[in-house]
Amino acid sequence: MLELDIILARNNFDLEIRETFAEGITGIYGPSGAGKTSMLQAIAGLVKPKKGYIQIGGKALFDARQKLHIPIEKRHIGYVFQEGRLFPHMTVEKNLRYGQKKNGNHQVSFEEVVELLKLDRLLDRKITQISGGESQRTALGRSLLSSPDLLLLDEPFSAVDMVLRKQILPFIIRIQQKFRIPILVVSHDLPDLLKLSDRLCLIRDGKVIGHARYHELLKKPELADLFGSTSHINAIDMRVVQTFPESGLTILHGNGEGQEVRIKCEQSREVYQKGQEIKVFIQADDIALSKEKLENVSIQNQLKGKITEIIHREASQLCIVDVGFRLLVEISAESQKRMEIRKGSEVWCLFKSVAIDVAD
Amino acid sequence: MSEFFGFNGAELQAISLSVQVALICSLISLPLALALGYLMARKEFWGKSILESIINLPLVMPPVTTGYLLLLLLGSKSLIGGWLLDNLGIKLAFSFYAAVIASIVVSFPLIVRSIRTSMELVDTGLEDASRILGAGKLKTFIRITIPLALPGVISGTILAFARSLGEFGATITFAGNIEGESQTLPLAIYSYMQIPGQEDSTFRLVLVSIFISFLAMILSEWYIKKMKDART
Repeated sequence: MLELDIILARNNFDLEIRETFAEGITGIYGPSGAGKTSMLQAIAGLVKPKKGYIQIGGKALFDARQKLHIPIEKRHIGYVFQEGRLFPHMTVEKNLRYGQKKNGNHQVSFEEVVELLKLDRLLDRKITQISGGESQRTALGRSLLSSPDLLLLDEPFSAVDMVLRKQILPFIIRIQQKFRIPILVVSHDLPDLLKLSDRLCLIRDGKVIGHARYHELLKKPELADLFGSTSHINAIDMRVVQTFPESGLTILHGNGEGQEVRIKCEQSREVYQKGQEIKVFIQADDIALSKEKLENVSIQNQLKGKITEIIHREASQLCIVDVGFRLLVEISAESQKRMEIRKGSEVWCLFKSVAIDVAD
Repeated sequence: MSEFFGFNGAELQAISLSVQVALICSLISLPLALALGYLMARKEFWGKSILESIINLPLVMPPVTTGYLLLLLLGSKSLIGGWLLDNLGIKLAFSFYAAVIASIVVSFPLIVRSIRTSMELVDTGLEDASRILGAGKLKTFIRITIPLALPGVISGTILAFARSLGEFGATITFAGNIEGESQTLPLAIYSYMQIPGQEDSTFRLVLVSIFISFLAMILSEWYIKKMKDART
């Protein structure tokens, strides 16, 4: 657990953070210049706050009152920079082994990291000979091998294109599942963050203005402009129940309690194992609502649920529908009025199987 | 031809002395310049520009002046030189060591400048990354900063070596022109030029001087290129 209570002087404002971050992935989201990176730098010891304290697992890294400022190299923190910051005079393997620890709290073997991040073919390459995504994976692996107590990822996707993002996301999720350490991911791309975690910490003008689950934050009208026009994403943990490799069809179950939900997903080309846990993404505006189940329709997925919340936005309405798990659906205000949808309404959520994206 | 290449004892002595002075000068300057270059490239401190001016002074001053100042500072009748002579029996002025000291002082601005410039070009972000990975300041300096600044370190060292080989004014003023003690190549060349009938000796030493400088340059260029190729 990471505890933070600091005031940090920036050029044009003071950054004031008083937050606790638990194990698991937390997305740090906010406009550029809000102080997101400064916060990471303070945790890592690259900048020194003028007041307050920083603790990881009860161990103080910084305490202004006791004039304690643990040197950067003794903080046991993994920091993956936007630009990777790989050492250009070393091979991939030498980079990976640079900070390797013989003994640490979260010990991990070189072979494990290489396998997890699929780096085996790259080990002898020079840094100039690998792609952007490979650089980011190497940087991730290098951090993991230093057996950090906390992992900080600063805009890990901005230097890589969409295809590579899709590759890196599952690695980060896997790292969390395996190492059980707090991971803070800074990004100004909300969909990317939501694909990693629904726990968000919102920062604006040097202050935390919200730190909760995504759906909770959505309910707060004062935060509406921060989410602005970005598309809303559902990220759902699912389990593979049945696969039909010849048609590409995969049947999934939601992990939520209550009614069992089946989703057919044709998009995945890879063949999944029965019982495999995967994360699927559906955009909120790719889902339609219907008052009753449609019989003659090409749409493969129809999930029955109950509306638990309606969040009013300028142009649209965000409905949170409980279908066994919570599904965020964006519909127009006009549709809502016409269909007489309100809190507690029973609805069917309709979406094409191609609207589903899978992290893998 | 065989006679042309047959160096006499005094000539060989001058050549070997010159190479010794230049090598010792480079070896002593290098660690000092690494530390000072890093300090100049990375740190802000009070009196930085004054320190910089003092280091660079020998670059702009006539070497004779530098030699004269060294004599004032370290000569047998000076405060430091006198103390060294009285208490430790070390006579610095007009000796081999004086030739080395003169060389160091004169070539130091060149090696510091070269190392500083190349260290300024090393991304401090990489040094931060190294420290976050658990490497202390010294390990980071040795494993990240120096290797990445290596082309500048090498060319600076070669520059100091070559400047030391060519050093004349400060050496003759502070170290004198003593055969086998402080008579380096340029001084020997100058001495031979004064004596009629020594044109062969003069010419041979000039060729040797050109050859050594040329070799040093080629070696450093080759090494820097090799290093660049290794990174791309």
